Amino acid sequence: MSTREDILTRIRSSIKERYDMPALDDIDPINWEDPLQKFISTLESTGGRAVDAGQEDVNTVIRGLFPEAGSIASNLEEITIANINPDTVTDVRQMDGLDVGIVRGEVGVAENACVWVPQTMKEKAVCFICEHLVILLRRDNIVSNMHEAYRRISFSDYGFGTFISGPSKTADIAQVLVMGAQAARSVTVVIE
Amino acid sequence: MKQLHKDKAREFLRNKDYARWHDETFWSVRSKRDAMASSLPEWETLREKASAIKRHTLTHLDEYLEQFTANAEKNGAIVHWAADAAEFNDIVLGILHEHGVHKLVKSKSMLTEECEMNPFLESKGIEVVETDLGERIIQLKGQKPSHIVMPAIHLNHDDVGELFEEKGISNRKGDHDPTYLTQQARISLRGEFLSADAGMTGANFAVASTGDVVVCTNEGNADMATSCPKLHIVAMGLEKIVPDYDSLAVFHRLLARCGTGQCSTTYTSHFRTARPGASPMHIILVDNGRSSWIGNPDHWESLKCIRCGACMNTCPVYRRSGGYSYSYFIPGPIGINLGMLRDPREHAGNVSACTQCMSCQTACPVKVDLGEQIYRWRQELGNIGKANPFKLALSDGMSLVFGHPGLYKAVTAPFRPFHTVFKHLEK
Repeated sequence: MSTREDILTRIRSSIKERYDMPALDDIDPINWEDPLQKFISTLESTGGRAVDAGQEDVNTVIRGLFPEAGSIASNLEEITIANINPDTVTDVRQMDGLDVGIVRGEVGVAENACVWVPQTMKEKAVCFICEHLVILLRRDNIVSNMHEAYRRISFSDYGFGTFISGPSKTADIAQVLVMGAQAARSVTVVIE
Repeated sequence: MKQLHKDKAREFLRNKDYARWHDETFWSVRSKRDAMASSLPEWETLREKASAIKRHTLTHLDEYLEQFTANAEKNGAIVHWAADAAEFNDIVLGILHEHGVHKLVKSKSMLTEECEMNPFLESKGIEVVETDLGERIIQLKGQKPSHIVMPAIHLNHDDVGELFEEKGISNRKGDHDPTYLTQQARISLRGEFLSADAGMTGANFAVASTGDVVVCTNEGNADMATSCPKLHIVAMGLEKIVPDYDSLAVFHRLLARCGTGQCSTTYTSHFRTARPGASPMHIILVDNGRSSWIGNPDHWESLKCIRCGACMNTCPVYRRSGGYSYSYFIPGPIGINLGMLRDPREHAGNVSACTQCMSCQTACPVKVDLGEQIYRWRQELGNIGKANPFKLALSDGMSLVFGHPGLYKAVTAPFRPFHTVFKHLEK
């Protein structure tokens, strides 16, 4: 018998009583009247920041936030200031030391500042290896909580997606919080 | 004879300043968890639901494992099944050999600790690099984690500073500032990510309905480990399965709030398939006792655990004795119970490390009845020949005396005059 069948057989003989799945539609989760404002304040508490682009061109906004940035990576059509394309880099190592990565988020979550970023580029490393990450997010794509978020997220054929809430961080040395552990040191969500 | 928890705890408490810091640090994490809990009116409902979902999933695990496997394979992943630690380690080595891997970067996984994978792979000539900062620190130090979420909590910034100087990770001698040390580790680990041939992650959750493997980190190290090398191996225990996204939302809302007092970990990454140009993703489902534990009527609910660490953070004994006082590699209330499931004779000493205050099961996000289980293990000590003979004799003697009024009177007769004296003194 294969290990798989062996394990499944053992599980079946171990189970004494099969419990039913509980209803989950009666949780009555917290909702905010203004999810955008809650999203912004939660994001700040994670060490991230939100910038409202208003009517301005996002390229101008991002350039203004990172005037010194030399390398900027993005495959988004609306981004004209990028000089690296994560669809065409041949080796991830070419992006080591990247100043700014710009990606699009699909869903923002007010309760925890998570933004769903599905992989829409060949090298997803752009989301993590950059020093500073910029996520574009439409203001009407912000929901109150994770229950709503998990009903809304979708994947591309790349088969990867991640919720990002704020910058990479650690407190593993003496419980002192430090931003910029292994991935992006800062996260800016540009609200459109 | 092996040192008992109380003996090791005595050693831990010798350094009074550190012991106080340890206690206060975990109490502050516990307080952050409380603040999170009280900020959500639906908190107790979430815990109820989480517990019920886990009960359902574990008692339908055969079905959900098959569903998960079918979906993961449809996504393009290769799924392996390992009966025990040895088979798991062999499967990992086989995959690494097949791809000519010399260096493996990995994110934190209690399962690989459980299977002692790192020393096994190292003995076969594979370089293994832990990339969670805390795990990296203890790996360089040649130690084991003392907490499942904060593995290097037993070291202070001077310990880490000196270690980094010795290993050439930091070069400003005497600069033990955590920000500087973290920055130096970032530089060092960046080199490891970019030169590794494979990346391994654990799994916080695996979604049966979609085949997603979900990994939560604050550092982004699991993402770096899977974005740079061209091979991703997932190691997960059978109990990590959740039915679907609606269930996952419940666990996601609880995990970081309970573990560190955050609303969410920084990254919650969903892996379905390998990225373009990379080899197919491998997922190894590890049993190593779990399929039998489901059949243990008194203790199967320990399998509901989502490894948040809340039970150790709140435990008055853990806070005042540290992770190394326990004989099992997972400390605190959940570690006592999992150790007993693993090998009750080996880990029986840990069941004393509990005051029965039940704070653990009040904090547990999935309502594992941790303290009650420890109580039940204590009742079973006699059956496994691990009951304390003195306490056993005392207890037998007391049953005899209290059960026979004549005997009670006879035994207590010599002390009766003192009773009269005490009564007199009270006046």
